[in-house]
Amino acid sequence: MRQPSVISRRVAAVAVSVVLASGAAACAGPEDAGAKSGTSGKGSSAPQKGGTLTVLNAEAQTDFDPARLYTSGGGNVPSLVFRTLTTRNREAGAAGTQVVPDLATDTGRPNKDATEWTYTLKDGLKFEDGTPITSADVKYGIERSFAAELSGGAPYLRDWLVGGDTYQGPYKDPKGLASIVTPDPKTIVFKLRKPEGEFPFVATQTQFAPVPKAKDKGAKYEEHPVSSGPYKVVRNENDGERLVLERNEHWDPGTDEERKAYPDKIDVRSGLDEAVINQRLATSSGADAAAVTTDTNLGPAELAQIGSDKALAARVGTGRFGFTNYIAFNPKVKPFDNPKVRQAISYAVNRTSVVNAAGGSALAEPATTFLPEQEAFGFTPYDHFPAGKTGNPEKAKQLLEEAGFPNGLTVTLLHSTAQNRTTSPEIATAVQEALGKAGITVKLDGQEPNSFNEKRWSVKDAPGFFLSRWGADWPAGGPFLAPIFDGRQIVTNGSNYNHAQLNDPAVNKEIDEINKLTDLKAAAARWGALDKKIGEQALDVPLFHPVYKRLVGKDVKNVVISDWTGVLDVSQVAVK
Amino acid sequence: MTTPTDTPAPVAGIPATGAARQVWRRLRTRPAALASLAVLLLLVLLALAAPLLAALEGQDAYAYHDDLVDSARGGVPYGSFGGASADHWLGVEPGTGRDLFVRLLYGARISLLVGIGATVVQILIGVLVGLAAGLGNRWVDTVLGRATDVLVALPMLVLAIALTAVVPRDFPRPLLLILVIGFLGWAGTSRIVRAQTLTLKSLDFVAASRLAGSGRWRTARRELLPALAAPVITYAAILVPTNIVVEASLSFLGVGVTPPTPSWGQMLSTAQTWFRADPAYVLLPAGLLFTTVLAFTVLGDAVRTALDPREASRLRVGTRKESSR
Repeated sequence: MRQPSVISRRVAAVAVSVVLASGAAACAGPEDAGAKSGTSGKGSSAPQKGGTLTVLNAEAQTDFDPARLYTSGGGNVPSLVFRTLTTRNREAGAAGTQVVPDLATDTGRPNKDATEWTYTLKDGLKFEDGTPITSADVKYGIERSFAAELSGGAPYLRDWLVGGDTYQGPYKDPKGLASIVTPDPKTIVFKLRKPEGEFPFVATQTQFAPVPKAKDKGAKYEEHPVSSGPYKVVRNENDGERLVLERNEHWDPGTDEERKAYPDKIDVRSGLDEAVINQRLATSSGADAAAVTTDTNLGPAELAQIGSDKALAARVGTGRFGFTNYIAFNPKVKPFDNPKVRQAISYAVNRTSVVNAAGGSALAEPATTFLPEQEAFGFTPYDHFPAGKTGNPEKAKQLLEEAGFPNGLTVTLLHSTAQNRTTSPEIATAVQEALGKAGITVKLDGQEPNSFNEKRWSVKDAPGFFLSRWGADWPAGGPFLAPIFDGRQIVTNGSNYNHAQLNDPAVNKEIDEINKLTDLKAAAARWGALDKKIGEQALDVPLFHPVYKRLVGKDVKNVVISDWTGVLDVSQVAVK
Repeated sequence: MTTPTDTPAPVAGIPATGAARQVWRRLRTRPAALASLAVLLLLVLLALAAPLLAALEGQDAYAYHDDLVDSARGGVPYGSFGGASADHWLGVEPGTGRDLFVRLLYGARISLLVGIGATVVQILIGVLVGLAAGLGNRWVDTVLGRATDVLVALPMLVLAIALTAVVPRDFPRPLLLILVIGFLGWAGTSRIVRAQTLTLKSLDFVAASRLAGSGRWRTARRELLPALAAPVITYAAILVPTNIVVEASLSFLGVGVTPPTPSWGQMLSTAQTWFRADPAYVLLPAGLLFTTVLAFTVLGDAVRTALDPREASRLRVGTRKESSR
């Protein structure tokens, strides 16, 4: 239904999305022990305005242009500068997975079949130069993201908007995109080519930030993008390696219920070694006392060290981002065409060893479902092939015998050599060890990350058995299940994420049906049921969901970690 | 990493017969050399006896022990000194609970096998190329000399990473490492052999052999090779520790032996983040690697001194000084 070129392009973008999703999750913001404790850090006094917040990061804020950023929910640092039609609810835990209005007065008004979405802008919205924000600016911002020179954003709009697959952006096509209509300066209407009940989630991405046409400098706009949020860019060095933000005087807190904007200044420094970031936050000397990180987790050894230090442990925030690490099967390859073999492996897996390999129970939680364990995703518990805590080799052996392998079998597991504790040798050897007990000899095929990804994303060359992972662009079942199990999203000439190459008309139809729902709760329940149903086929073995542990400096207050991002929200942090 | 410039210059011409006995006699008088030798013999013995010792401890190199690590604290082993106990003599690996004693022993096998195997390959190629360059005509000498120069100029580690990455995974990794390190690291040997050969060529006993009607290669085999033994053995003793370090570096970078096969380099790689939380895990492989490399280096130096005819003459006339260490 889509043209091949569009598909491959879209897929490439999705590939990036997966990478960035985890980065974005990392980017979204730290918080402290989930919903349970509202504030972390020391000092029980109420957060005050003022001071400088330092952000110590590994990755630079590259291409700081709203058209080019690939974020989950608008990102963490980007969201300080770019307001979007909707945004994520800046609350801890599950409440943080909700979409709330930002520039718009509500999260969007759909027509009957969810193919048309209407938004009205709030009153009193202004850019950093004082000029009012109009619906035309929002439309222009979205149109820019279609320009080839401003690539990088999520692929959804290109796929969803009528004419989105052929539009070339406002520089080549100044007439604009007819499917975005602005009847007046306050109203904007989106016309989609198919029902998309989760459109309000996509409207949180930075492509929905307003861009004044008069100030647009094309690819150079990223050096000084015009702010609509509480901070404006005053310095941007080395493509986002150092970013200094100061207050935008024209931002009216009365129009923004989400961003607290306590610090006067935010200094983002990147290109740092992860161990250095954690060491600096732990030491908290000088400016580092008022520092956070939006992309660096604590590793297992660092956690082991913190374990005995109560003061330090109190400064660790815990968060969950919708993410699943799993073993993927390609049933086109023998012997994985046999469901009994796949089930045997499901039974044999020892999730305790795997979780330990991933950094222990503080950094990973065993998974038996493909969907993350959050209501927003529609989490519906199931464990079709119960392996218990440490695996069930007896049951696995029995299934192997039924499958015609009474003497066990030898298979090869593809994994990456990256030190990421998700698709890395540690996880692979833990799987190997557990399967060995069930008579399955696993040979390991470790590849460097690029060739690993090339192989697992290829329909032609994908092996039968490999480690994989998936994170969602927003907390709902759609972006989690559709790319993995929708038969129409099998990509033959690009990056394919439907590893099982499942093309089941019933599954495809159900995905279409759920996409029509605008009641997100009802949709979530349907996604959960679909996940449970697909799980019966043993097309994958869910292994674990990661948990993020992050340190903050000792003077940092009001740490809020939502389940949307799993990391502290910079817009909520105070340093006074 | 391949050509120490301060290489021995033992001048050729030591009578081949009795050389070994003579070397041993001189080594015996050096406590450091004897200690190194003892350490190395012990290591080889331990490596060879790894399966026996593993059985004695009652552990194997691959079994996971999830109950021995504190999952809530990143998988750090329970107990002090990395979880050392009567069951696990040197503790267990963080995250997996695999027995460190057995893994270190099996790691010694890889280190010694690759270190010595690669040295054999380097010496074989180096001697052949060096002899051919020294005995061949000007044209042969130039071509081989340039080839050696090119090899010296190549960044060995980078090339080794590239090579080990393209070879199919089924190829036995230790053998692959031996070949890669061996074929990339013979330049130093060949240069020394060539230089020695040129010197020897003009000496009387070689000329006599030629005059007696021996062919070029027969002369090489009968007269030159024995005379080359001293510098070559010396150089080999220096190459072994270098090769062990290269293997460790490659495994450290994830392109050496593949998991779950234990190797010291790989252990160091995973251990580097643990040095505060679980120092034992870092100190054990690091200490073993250090000890092995030091022992080989000290022994190599002692052999060099023992084979040095100038040193020998000093001994004979009683002017012995506590020389180079």
